[in-house]
Amino acid sequence: MEGALIDRILSGHKELFMDLIRPHQRTVYATVFSLLANKEDAEDVAQDALLKALARLNQFRKESTFGTWLIQIAINEARMRNRRQWRIPMLSLTDDKDKDHAKAYVPKDFEDWREIPSTALERVEVRDALVKALGSLARHYREAFVLRDIHELSISETSAILGISPGAVKSRLRRARLMLRDILAPGLAQDGRLGWAFKEVRKPWE
Amino acid sequence: MGIGCEQVWVDISDYIDDDLDPNQRAALDQHFVECRRCTALLNGTRNVIGLYRDPRVLAPPDGFHERLYRRLEENTTSSRRSFLAWALTAAAAVPVGLALFSVRRLMLPTHDKGTPATERDVRQVPETVAISQDQDDKVFHLAGCSHLHGKPTFLSVKEAIREGYTPCIYCIGKAQPKKNS
Repeated sequence: MEGALIDRILSGHKELFMDLIRPHQRTVYATVFSLLANKEDAEDVAQDALLKALARLNQFRKESTFGTWLIQIAINEARMRNRRQWRIPMLSLTDDKDKDHAKAYVPKDFEDWREIPSTALERVEVRDALVKALGSLARHYREAFVLRDIHELSISETSAILGISPGAVKSRLRRARLMLRDILAPGLAQDGRLGWAFKEVRKPWE
Repeated sequence: MGIGCEQVWVDISDYIDDDLDPNQRAALDQHFVECRRCTALLNGTRNVIGLYRDPRVLAPPDGFHERLYRRLEENTTSSRRSFLAWALTAAAAVPVGLALFSVRRLMLPTHDKGTPATERDVRQVPETVAISQDQDDKVFHLAGCSHLHGKPTFLSVKEAIREGYTPCIYCIGKAQPKKNS
């Protein structure tokens, strides 16, 4: 189905490209966000990546899925943007990869943990809080989390895309999951409003 | 003897991914039965992963698809324009080249460097030619000639001839030796 659509686009029906990428827009946007942690830049770069995908569609070899191929383009595009932009280095306690990997992570103990139901995601402030929480992690944790837990790529696919060992993927993923859980676990307040964790992104490990 | 909480924190991510060997998994299962804190950690982590997998989270902003469509249209249109511009330029270059070639062959064999050109001779030259404001050589050139030095002034061919200018032998054509009559 997707392959046939690609063949038709390559034969000149460029207008079908929008149909081809519609199911992958979130994949590309989330991937770019995982590197840039900035919504405005993420839209711009995600669109650049999709246009680049159209320009290079004849290079898609169908050895991987189209979605995985798009992710690779999105990552390259976001990395190029990061290189082009002058950025003041941001210091983060989660950014010391060696230090992080060397010691065990101690998750925060929330006695009053409450599950956040998926219905809460209807509220834009809850969705924004999740995005903000993800954006507060160091980039290498965001990348591993987005590829594994949002795009549901395998460890080996994530390892290949990021150019790191499967062990490093697992290690980063574990940290990312536990840190996000620590930020978000307090959940919603009893009256249904956002709990303290949503009002501002905290880093319990600091 | 069961495993401690610290070992659970190390293995919990692989447990969620079902990436532990059966013995390790059984040890964690047993620990969760006994430890309320680690059970809360497991459930909380699964809850968070489940939330992020929801397509509403990290969805592209409203209007993303439309803005992308517009950019796609613009790119396609500009590509077409670029191609059209290239084709028109190429098409225009052909007669200009032919005209210059014709000028070299047909116009100048009849007079030499020192002989002022006549209107009949320069019938193939463009209507406007260039002379130098800084040289006193009384030669007119096609615009862009490498032998046109200094600041150029543009004037009609008729005017150039009337003022006694002769065509440049490099950009318009080689002069033939003057025949003695």
